[in-house]
This record gives sequence, structure tokens and C-alpha cells, in this order.
Amino acid sequence: MWFFILGRLAMAFLTILATTVAVTLLIHLVPGDPVQIMYAQSQGTTPEQIEAIRHGLGLDQPIYVQYASYLWRLAHGDLGYTIRGHQPVLDVILQRLPNTLALAAAAMVVAIAIGLPVGFMAAWRRGSWLDTALMAGAIAGISIPGFWLGLLLLLVFAVDLGWFPVSGTGPANLVLPAVTLGLSNAAVIARMTRSSMIDTMRQDFVRTAEAKGLPKATILRRHVLRAGLVPIVTMIGLQFAFMMGGAIVVENIFSWNGVGRMAIEAIFQRDYPVIQGFILAFATVVVAVSLIVDVIYALVDPRIRRS
Amino acid sequence: MIAFKGLIRAVAVAGAISLSVAGAEAKGIVWARYGDIDTLDPHRATSTLSLQVWSLIYDTLLATDKDGKPVPNLAESWTSNPAGTEYTFKLHSGVKCADGSSLDANDVKYTVDRALDAANPSVTKASWGPISKVDVIDPTTVKFTLDKPFVALVPFLADSFSSIICKSNKGVEGFGTTSAVGSGPWKLVSWTKGDKIVLARNPDYQNFGKLADNKGAPYMDGLVISVVPEPQARLAALKTGEVDIAEPPLDDVEALKSSGDLKITVAENTGQNVFWEFAVHRPPFDDARARQAVGYATDAADAINLVYGDLSLPEACPVSRGVFGNDQEFCLKYRTNYDPEKAKALLKELGYGPDKPLETSMLVWTGGNRQKLAEVFQAQLAEVGIKADIEMMDIGTMNARVRQENETPTGKGSMDMMTWSWYDPDILYALWHSPGAYRGFTSPELDKMLDETRVLTEPEARKAKVQEVFKYLLENGIHIPLYTPGWEWVFAERPTVEGFHVAPFVYPVFNDVKITDKKS
Amino acid sequence: MTELLHEISVPPTRVSGRRWVFLRRVVATPGGSAGLAVLLLLVGSALFADLVAPYSPIKMGVGKRFLPPSLAFPMGTDEFGRDVFSRILFGSRLTLMIGAIAVGISMSAGLVIGLVAAYRGGWIEKVLMRTTDMLLSFTETLIALACVAVLGPSLANAMIAVGIAGIPLYARTCHSAALVERSKPYFEASVAAGAGHCRLIVLHLLPNILPTMIVVATLGISSAILAAAALSFLGLGAQPPQPEWGAMLSGARDYLNRGPWLMAVPGLAIAVTVLGFNLLGDAVRTALDPREAGE
Repeated sequence: MWFFILGRLAMAFLTILATTVAVTLLIHLVPGDPVQIMYAQSQGTTPEQIEAIRHGLGLDQPIYVQYASYLWRLAHGDLGYTIRGHQPVLDVILQRLPNTLALAAAAMVVAIAIGLPVGFMAAWRRGSWLDTALMAGAIAGISIPGFWLGLLLLLVFAVDLGWFPVSGTGPANLVLPAVTLGLSNAAVIARMTRSSMIDTMRQDFVRTAEAKGLPKATILRRHVLRAGLVPIVTMIGLQFAFMMGGAIVVENIFSWNGVGRMAIEAIFQRDYPVIQGFILAFATVVVAVSLIVDVIYALVDPRIRRS
Repeated sequence: MIAFKGLIRAVAVAGAISLSVAGAEAKGIVWARYGDIDTLDPHRATSTLSLQVWSLIYDTLLATDKDGKPVPNLAESWTSNPAGTEYTFKLHSGVKCADGSSLDANDVKYTVDRALDAANPSVTKASWGPISKVDVIDPTTVKFTLDKPFVALVPFLADSFSSIICKSNKGVEGFGTTSAVGSGPWKLVSWTKGDKIVLARNPDYQNFGKLADNKGAPYMDGLVISVVPEPQARLAALKTGEVDIAEPPLDDVEALKSSGDLKITVAENTGQNVFWEFAVHRPPFDDARARQAVGYATDAADAINLVYGDLSLPEACPVSRGVFGNDQEFCLKYRTNYDPEKAKALLKELGYGPDKPLETSMLVWTGGNRQKLAEVFQAQLAEVGIKADIEMMDIGTMNARVRQENETPTGKGSMDMMTWSWYDPDILYALWHSPGAYRGFTSPELDKMLDETRVLTEPEARKAKVQEVFKYLLENGIHIPLYTPGWEWVFAERPTVEGFHVAPFVYPVFNDVKITDKKS
Repeated sequence: MTELLHEISVPPTRVSGRRWVFLRRVVATPGGSAGLAVLLLLVGSALFADLVAPYSPIKMGVGKRFLPPSLAFPMGTDEFGRDVFSRILFGSRLTLMIGAIAVGISMSAGLVIGLVAAYRGGWIEKVLMRTTDMLLSFTETLIALACVAVLGPSLANAMIAVGIAGIPLYARTCHSAALVERSKPYFEASVAAGAGHCRLIVLHLLPNILPTMIVVATLGISSAILAAAALSFLGLGAQPPQPEWGAMLSGARDYLNRGPWLMAVPGLAIAVTVLGFNLLGDAVRTALDPREAGE
């Protein structure tokens, strides 16, 4: 058990290390001179200052030295400074990351609250008109662009009906973005749940129970639900990463002050330290979540540890 | 679907509850803008969004009257020597910074020294001019000594770039982000980057010269400046009362005006100038005729009418209305005014034709419906056989790109819809005196004229020289003015808001604001 | 969206020789025929946009501004008086091109990585597949954003970004499919018979994993179209005056009051297209999967 957890920890650490390499390289892949691009404010930047900035960023050093110093600073909680406004990147990200996590978590609640029951119902009534209707709804849900759904919800519930505030970052503002993000993912969870339940129903122990003549509801409750839930929980854990990805777009529709909106602004402003910090923060969250899911899964289902 | 409806109802109820909780907190003025400040440190940014906030927290030595002319403010008077190399400012006494410390000549010296600090100069260092030293004569008298005359210093000291930073900020960690002490009408409570800035009224504030009837502290307790990027979201927030003042979606202004739901304030004398400029060190725009062809092909009046209606005006001069030297009639004589036939003729001379269009990229910065305007210009240029590819980018990126384009000797043509806002024609010195802000067009004769505009202290003589510069820029198709104003200049207010106005160069003033349905 | 692809696992099946049966099975399901219909509609409008479209997609002032849908302008006009119907028609070209190019990039790179990993095995396989898994966990959105941050916003760059972001999924699918083939007796027999590397990969592995890859690609087109539209919506993809649907939707945000159809039309176009490819993908998968088909 401990061996398994240690192994997963090492893997997580490696992943984040690889991400640091990628973000260090990122700035070198930019066509043109990144310093010029970043700092050419129209006034006052002389060539000497540009050189000073380049030196300050360590961009005049060999790449492995740059990488080492990046790691060193990272170990000290220093992610560099934003280009617009010269603020510590770490502060800027930490100020906004909780908002993104809150959005992803709220959306997850919405997605599970809708997706799980729908998936169960469809699996239970497999082949019926209900199954067909629910799964048609699910595939439509997957196909509707989140940014369009978001706009529609914004138009109807915030602008026309005035039920929700349209600006700011508070609990009431969370509702619409969470529903937008949650609905798209509910469809995915519904489909996953359905196929997982159907798989379970095909398994021998369920067939045996059926053969014994137990009522369908009892079988479902006692056997299928319990066995089918484990893979579903794992899949939902993995889904969190996609929630984070989806949050990037949704935040921009609803002006939700999270790291996704920050990242898009930074891309437009070519604020590379912020982009680097964002990628690293995003990767860390994803890795941490999947680590937790893996460990929980291993605790619940001992078989996994052997594989 | 049943589940869906139930959920919507459930979250609606939950939302309504939390909304009413949030509503109880609303006090003071809420002003929504599309973006956030870069920093609270007046020496580290140049954006209008930042400047507007600095003008609320800090005060300046001078202020502008409604026509944009410098008037006394923190400095009750000023004198200069005949050579124009020494300026002495007499300050009001008894001025207090928001932290209770008193503001005097030492704070002025601290500010200027900080801006000019060789190790870490202000990003607008050049605009302070050739100041060699600042002396504190006594607590209310401060003297600036210049290496040579610099006429644009006086208007600069009325702009928030020259905000007086209280000396007590020195060495404070987090200055510019978590802390910023000035002597302006409002003091900083908190800034959540990307979300909002919370300000409280500065009870000690005295208004000496700012454009407000109120000579003391603002009437309202607080001012929240929130970031709402979507124009439609800002409009909805105005309608629901979440927000009191905001820039509306420009396309809805007409309807709002006629319905009377919201009041519309359009800023005047913004100093904003939107213009074409070109990468002049390579074909096709190294040839003046190609630049002129673009000028003749562009119908700015038609384009802004389509996109902005009557919210903006065509501008004929390289510095806009309200800025020293501007004269529409004078400029129209030399500007390449809309004439597609002339454009086609010039293009033909250069060897372009229907099957060989002139190809160029057109750089435009995002926001303020400029992408729409660019699309109209793109279509106009296409009419005469110029194929322009629009590239949208952030203003910071565009500044860098334009310079990069000028430094690249080969490649496709490049032109850009540049925008500048300045209180004095000295901006033309920054743009077009060698080496030039973007390393673009320069010439010895233009340099000579621009040098003179800086030292001519007699207004009429300076005006004549400034207009000579206009003529040169217009005739050679170097700086082709399009329209003014161009960004963040329209404000919509709830009917309950009284006393809101916008000072020249788009500085909103909240000192006089009273909101009738809110307790202050 | 990426989520859909995430859940799929296609059992490898050989379809050669039964192509028509296969196609009939796809069309027999309501989803499959609907999906095929959408695909045909899309291809049709892309091919014949010049003939069908009443106006140029970029010509301004063909009608008054903000005309609601009518007989003359079936989808209304936009803020410049351009015909939205014509823009949607020409936009279908961009949409198809985006889907094809992005998936082409993902597929070709994914095939190479997956095949090399499966065929060579050893540490090469370990490194390639570990990296793939790592990238897979970061989601396509993040990878695409990082690519656009480096390349800068444009439609071409958005296609490349979406293409690159998709590689890990194709590589992983290709790898597992190839592993299954490699362990089959016929393959081992060919190896024993002394067939060369190229021959083994091109003649044996590739044809047998293609059906699986086709399913992934069909579903992948929908996710690529969605991702690219999202980038354009954020302003990081298509630039004006390109009638790209995501960019049109983004532009419509300013006119929720004056022209609500400007938001409805391109959004619906994206949704229907993506739905079509998803339905088709589902039908193809079901047709290839004897287990599901047997139900």
C-alpha cells in the first residue's frame, strides 16, 4: 500500500518537474525577442534597460542555468513578476486560484447531481423510450458549446429575468457559471454512468442474482449500485481536470475572477511570467487531484494496488 | 429535463437569497469598467485604466480646467525664469496625506526623484523633461531646475502621470499593490486584482483646483471600481442597480438615450487621437504615395458613423481637439481626405492594380469596438485594391509589434491603427523625433521642427511651429489622423446618480456625486 | 468536447470486406442517419457556398444593419449589414477545414508515436507513453492554450494548437490498438517469417488499427471543431472578417439586445455540426462493436 502511494507521489513529482521544463522552454519558443515583446512600452525603455531586463530575467544565461535558477526561485515560492504592473506572479495566482477551484467544485456538484441519476435511470430502463430520450439529451448536452450555453443563460437569467447578478465574484455570481459548466459535464457523467452500470449488470454475480429471482430493484440497489460506483467515482475524479479546462472558457463569459480569465488576459498582453505561472498552477492542481483520486481508489479497491 | 427544471428552480432560490445578502452591503458608488489597473504605482504603467484610478487616490501640483488648460492645484502658484529653465512652485499649506502625514515640498521632491531614479526610472521618465534637480526651498516652496527649456512640463504636472506620491510610501513593501498613500479625494481600502478596487472617502481632502464644485471631501462614503469585461453585463448591472456608473455597450447608447432609462455622459477634450501609421523602412510604405493612398482610401467619417454613431468625431489633426495647436481647418488643407479615385491613381503609379493588390497587415488593439471599425476600414481599403489583414492584439503587444515591424527590413507591408492620448503636442516629439517611440519615420528637418516646439516659450510662436509639424506629418502621410475620442469615453449612469462628470483627458470626477437612493 | 473522447474505448475489429454491411448498420440507427445527414449538409454547403449564398460573406451593407431574419435575409443581417446566412454557409468551409486539419495533425502524429511505442517497446515505449499520459491528464484546453500563447492568435495557429493538443489521445488509442494486434498469432507468424520493420508496420499493424482510429477521428472532429470555436470565441483564433462561427458568436456578444439572432445562429450551427459528428461517431462505434451491436 505504502509502496503504491510512494510510487504515485514520485510520478506526480516527475510530472510537475516536466511541466517546469516545459514552461521554461515556452519563453524560448516565442518567435521574436520575448523581452522586446514584453517590455516595449512606448516610453522610456532604452536599449540599456532592455539589456538590464534581459539580465534580470536571466535570459542572457545558458538555458540550463536559466532552468536551474527557475527551479531555485520556485523552491522559494518565487514565480517571477508580472509584466503589467510588476507584481509577484504567485500572489496574483493565489488570489484567483480559489475562485477557479470553487467554480470547478460547484460545477462538479451540479454535474453529479444531474449526471448520476440520469445515467442510473437510463441504465435501469435500458432500451426503453426513457433511455433513448435521456441519452439523446446527453449527446445534445455534449454537443452544445459551453460558451454558447453560457451566453444563453446569461441572457435569460441575468439580463432578462435579473435573477442573478451579472458582475463580480461572489456566491450568487457562482450559480450561472457553475450551471453552465456543470450541465456540459453532467451529460458526460450520465453517459459514463450508464455504460458502467450496464457493464456491471452483465457480470456474473448480477446474472446469478437474477437467476435466483430477486426483484430488479433489489438487485440494482444491493449489487449493481455498489459495484458500479467504484469506476464511476474514479471517472468523476478524472473529470475534475476537464472541469478546470472548461472553467477557462466559462470564466471569460461570466467575468468570474479566476485563473482562466487571468490566463486569457495574459496571453493577450504577452505577460509570459503569468502564463508560465498559470500552466504550472493548473498542472499542479490536476496532478494533485488525480493523486488523491488514485489513493482513495486504492484504499477502496485493494485489487488496484497489484496492477 | 424535469431534473433540469427542478435544478434551475433550486439554484434560482439559492441565488436570490445570496443576492439579497449581497444587496445589503451596497453603499457608496459602484463604477464598472472593462478592465483592471496594472498597478497603483504611478511610475509603473501608462494605461488609461490605471491613470483614472491614480487621479482618485493621488493629487497633482496642477490641474486642468474644462478646456484642458493647466490651473493651480496643490501648487497655488508657479513662476519660471525668462530662460524657461527654472520653475518654482508655491504649495498650499496644511495638505494631508491619507495616512495623516502632511504633504509638503519634500513629498514633491521625493516623487520627482523617484520618477527619475536612474536605477529604476518611471516608465514615463521622458515626459518629465530634462529636469536636472529638485530643491526644497522651504516646506511650501519647491524649485525644478532644467538643463534646457521644456514647455510641456507645465501641462504634464496637471496630468496624473505626475501624481504626487506621499513620502511615507518610501520603503513600504507592497506599495502599488496593497498600499498606496496619496492626498487625493479617495483613499485605498483594498485592491483585488482582476475584480475590484475599494476606495473610501478621504475626509481630510481639500480641493484646490480639480474640476468639482465640492471644495472638500467627496459626499459619498465609498467608491468601488469593479471589473466587468462584457459590455452587455455592464449594461445589465446598470439596469439592476448593481452598478451606478459604467461604460455601456456603444451600440445600445442610442436606444438608452431615447428611452431615458440611463443618463449618458460623453467625455469631451479627451486628447485621444486615433491614427494610421506605417512601417516606413520597407516597401510598400517606404514610399509616401503608398501611405497617401491609404489616407485617400479611408473614409473615417463614414466608418465612425457606422460604428459609433455621433459618439465620436472625425479628427483632422495629429493632436486632437482640446490640445494646444489643434485647428481642424488648418489640418484639413493638408490631410489626405477621402478620395478613392486619388488613391487608385497613386496605387496605379506604384504598379498596383486589380490583379495585383497592395498587401498589408493592419494592427489594431482590442476593445472599444475598434475591431468593428477595423473591419469597415478593411472593406474601404479593399475598394481601391488594398488587401489588409486585420490582426487584433492588446495595446502593450501592439506597441511592441509596431516597433518590431519598423525594425524589420523585409516582409509584407504593415500599418496600424495607433491610439494616443496626451495633453500637449509634445506627444509628437515622443512619436516622431528620432529615434522615435516606434523607430518609425524620422528626418532631420522634422527633428529640427520638433526640437523648436519644445523650447519656444511664446505661445503664438510655438503654435506656428507645432502647426508646421502637423503640415509635414499630414502631407507626407506619416501620421494620418482618423477620429477622436476613441476609448472609454462614454459613461452611462443610473438616474439616481447626480453630480458625475468627466474632466478633460477622460478623468471621471466623483467628488460631487450624490446617489439619491443610497444612504451615504 | 474532450470529455467524450476520454470515455471511449474501441475494441479493435476488422471491417475489410464487410464495408457495405458496416455502412448499412451505421445508417440503420436513427443517430447514424441523422449524423450522416448533418455531415452531408455540411459538405454540401461548403462545396456549393459560392452557388447557394445570395451574397458575399464579407461584403458590408448588402442590407440594412441588424435586420431580423426575413425572406430576403433568412438569418438576418449583422452589425455591418452583412448577410448572416451567407456567412454561415462560407463558415462551414472553415469549420470543415478546421476539423480536417486539426484531426489530421493529431492523427498523423498520434499514429507515429503510438506505432513506434508499440512496435519498439522497451524504454522508448515507456517514455513515450508516460509523456502521453501526462499530457492527457492536462486536458486539451490547457495544451491548446499554451500553444496559442507561443504561436500567437490566428486561425491557422488555432488549428495547429488544437491539432497538437489532440495528439496524446490518438497516440494512446493507437498504442493500445497496436499492442492488441502485435500479440495476435498472425503478427507473430510474420515476424517469425522474417518480415522487415516497414512491412510489419505498414502492411500489418496499420491496416488493422485503422478502423479504431477512424472512430476516434470521427468523434475527434467534433471535439476539434468545438475547441477551435472556443479559441475563436476567446479571440485567440479566427480574425475578422473571416466568417468563422466561434468568432461570429464572440462578436454577437455586443449585440444581445439589438440582434439576438446574431448569437443564436452561429451557436446553433456549431451545436448541430458537433452533434452530427458525435451521433455519427457513436453509430460507427456501435457498428464496429459486436458487443453493443448484439444487444
